[in-house]
Amino acid sequence: MIRAPLVKALGALGSPTHQMASRAVRTSAMVAQTPAKAPEKIEVFVDDIPVQVAPGTTVLQAAAQIGVEIPRFCYHERLAVAGNCRMCLVEVEKSPKPVAACAMPVMKGWRIKTNSDLTRKAREGVMEFLLMNHPLDCPICDQGGECDLQDQAMAFGSDRSRFTDINYTGKRAVEDKDIGPLVKTIMTRCIHCTRCVRFASEIAGVDDLGTTGRGNDMQIGTYVEKLFLTELSGNVIDLCPVGALTNKPYSFVARPWEIRKVSSIDVLDAVGSNIVVSTRTNEVLRILPRENEDVNEEWLADKSRFACDGLKRQRLVAPMVRMPNGELQAVEWEGALIAVAKAVKAAGGQIAGISGQLADLEAQVALKDLLNRLGSEVVATEQGFIAGGTDNRANYLLNSTIAGLEEADAVLLVGTNPRYEAPLVNTRLRKAYVHNELQIASIGPKIDLSYDHENLGADAALVKDVCSGAHAFSKVLEGAKKPAIIIGADLLERADGAAIHATVAEYCKKLKKPNWNPFNVLQTNAAQVGALDVGYKAGAQTAVKAQPKVLFLLNADAAKVTREQLPKDCFVVYIGSHGDNGASIADAVLPGAAYTEKQAIYVNTEGRPQQTLPGVSPPGMAREDWKILRALSEVVGKPLPYDNLDELRNRVEDVAPHLTRLGHLEPAGDAGAAGAISKSIGGGPIDLKLKELRDYFMTDAISRASPTMAKCISAVNKQQRENEAKQSVAI
Amino acid sequence: MSALRQVMCRSTASLQLYQANRAAAARWASTASTDGGPLDPKTALARPDELEQRNKLSGKITVPTAVNLSPISGVPEEHLRERRVRIHIPPKNAMQSGTDNVNTWQIEFDNRERWENPLMGWASSGDPLSNMNVQFGSQEEAITFCERNGWRWYVDGAEKPKKERVKNYGINFAWNKRTRVSTK
Repeated sequence: MIRAPLVKALGALGSPTHQMASRAVRTSAMVAQTPAKAPEKIEVFVDDIPVQVAPGTTVLQAAAQIGVEIPRFCYHERLAVAGNCRMCLVEVEKSPKPVAACAMPVMKGWRIKTNSDLTRKAREGVMEFLLMNHPLDCPICDQGGECDLQDQAMAFGSDRSRFTDINYTGKRAVEDKDIGPLVKTIMTRCIHCTRCVRFASEIAGVDDLGTTGRGNDMQIGTYVEKLFLTELSGNVIDLCPVGALTNKPYSFVARPWEIRKVSSIDVLDAVGSNIVVSTRTNEVLRILPRENEDVNEEWLADKSRFACDGLKRQRLVAPMVRMPNGELQAVEWEGALIAVAKAVKAAGGQIAGISGQLADLEAQVALKDLLNRLGSEVVATEQGFIAGGTDNRANYLLNSTIAGLEEADAVLLVGTNPRYEAPLVNTRLRKAYVHNELQIASIGPKIDLSYDHENLGADAALVKDVCSGAHAFSKVLEGAKKPAIIIGADLLERADGAAIHATVAEYCKKLKKPNWNPFNVLQTNAAQVGALDVGYKAGAQTAVKAQPKVLFLLNADAAKVTREQLPKDCFVVYIGSHGDNGASIADAVLPGAAYTEKQAIYVNTEGRPQQTLPGVSPPGMAREDWKILRALSEVVGKPLPYDNLDELRNRVEDVAPHLTRLGHLEPAGDAGAAGAISKSIGGGPIDLKLKELRDYFMTDAISRASPTMAKCISAVNKQQRENEAKQSVAI
Repeated sequence: MSALRQVMCRSTASLQLYQANRAAAARWASTASTDGGPLDPKTALARPDELEQRNKLSGKITVPTAVNLSPISGVPEEHLRERRVRIHIPPKNAMQSGTDNVNTWQIEFDNRERWENPLMGWASSGDPLSNMNVQFGSQEEAITFCERNGWRWYVDGAEKPKKERVKNYGINFAWNKRTRVSTK
């Protein structure tokens, strides 16, 4: 963990003059690099290497600047400083005692020694006390192999124990807690770093975890028996430096050295969280977050983390065609493609396509190209949006950006519940609430957002009030340095969605600041922004209105289209990974790959294109979606002009060049639809789809197929029943 | 006379010292990169004659020519044409706080099918390149390596400067801020 800095190693070799000269050059160069802020910085020495740091920097941060990593358990850079594990003790010259590096701000001229005898002795002592009561169960512990305590005991611990249990009293044992179906607790292993407690109260905003007792009797827990139910609970597994909190569905499944890690993107919400998919023998075992400061920091929402077992259930593994008796029968690819091609040829251009929640950009482009070649222009997204609003990209993006919301100081939420629609956008809002004194108001039903906010009411007419400047909250927005208005994507499906959109967009032009766009739409589907960017129309009804003879459903599983709405002889083709709503109404089912099985681009709600990488191969006869469409185009006789992913990406670049600059965010301009739009908001209450935690867990084909998500819902229901029973007893 | 000699001696001694210092300074100046970055260990440990040789060569121009090793490397055609190499910095493991081994660029081939071996239950693969993770000092080195071997490559991610954070124990007890910790 600690790497000896190069210069230090060289110092021993060089002559004294050499050392002096090197230091002189180094410091002068440092000063030259920071001309403006130079007087503010103070100089400290970490292992005799001078470091210039801002006042208030902690010893640990100063050491990190030159690559010296001080061991720690309780310190976490995204949580508040606790300073209770004492592992980061280091010697400071002329200080009588070692100091806790994580909490101590540096003073001018301090000489910090991160590898001196005193420091090593302090670490060894702390480690000895930690291990005194830590069970020796590493061989059966799920954290084994990726455990901070294990690693640091090897690096900094003593090589022998002084604690001989002469009285046979045994080590301290603590009862395990049941905190839900996602997190398994083995509390005897706990070293009381309180990272989980701090995460729950600071980031998740749920003060469920805490400590009871003191000293040797201290315990982490919920005090009364209750479940730790939040949409971010899985993160405490990552935070726990030992094996006290582990992944329940993953318990005893694999060891970290057996698994392969593939960097990918999550698609179960529109945040586009960066993930690492852990696989072994063509099976996805678990999903961990991957650090990306601009998107998900280093957190991951529970659905994204735990719904991965849904990738193994309800999968379509063979092409299927509906037989005259009404049953879907598995056939070979050839038979299925010929059946679809016959229907397509017979339709004579009366074809439509609907792209669903989990469709990737490549498949969307391929489907659109295929349909255009067959003489149809009707391609639409399953989720609706305002009519005519898709020409301007700013109309459907989260323009303030996810990281930008952290700096906002006044936010109005209109018909959205970011806590469950995009949990990691909500953590940003909460961060701004805690650290930036953010003021938040919402229009919509009363919901728990994990932070205090003002509910202005549920009536849609309130939008007009606020945007006319008459409402009290308008003053807050207008007085703010970085105001933001966030509209829920589902709200815009309403009849007066266009009017709400136009009213807010108009008001946002007034609120606009340099380098700050206050207009935001919070999307809920990972595929939505990409589809609109490449020219899909919004709303499944667009396709239904065309009354097509062949309808392609590309991962469309939200059941927005029913058989009754379509003509009797309509041939429905479903391309997707799971047997869900889409496949049940289809005449031909072509099995596609899920997001962990293909290299594909997804565009998140702020318009950032990112790509997934295949961790495993698609099951059975399933193939990547764009390859299916490419093969079909050959059978139909209108071959698509791309044979591999690079050629297809070139085609994507022709259509939308900004979507191939992966990870890069292309800012959009002002929101506002072209042409005159009536701004009469109909009024009536605004409703939300995801109001409570139980609504959160199953929102798409993958999470609906996941047994873990089903367990979460039943746990929430059970908790609620128990609460109600307790209340009735109290009455 | 003796006094004069003393003076002479002193001046000779000081002259020698001065020259030694100047030599050291010159050596330093020739070795140190002018931007004040970390010292290259090869440069620091090089003998003076090596440095001189290097200095002489530094005036020469090397004309870059595209080197392609693929015709003679013996790598089967299918592993040259159909593979894509991803050049990236491996992500930090979310389960641990250490950051060793995650600061270098490395290459990785596209993932191919694996299966459980029916004999032992181990993971099998038909891909000879599945375990080839090579680390490089910089992105450019990795790109050059791929070009020379005739692989298609792409760079995933970039080195981003770490965000500076203010960590402060005191804000846990701030009386008028929302950062105040009430329960613990």
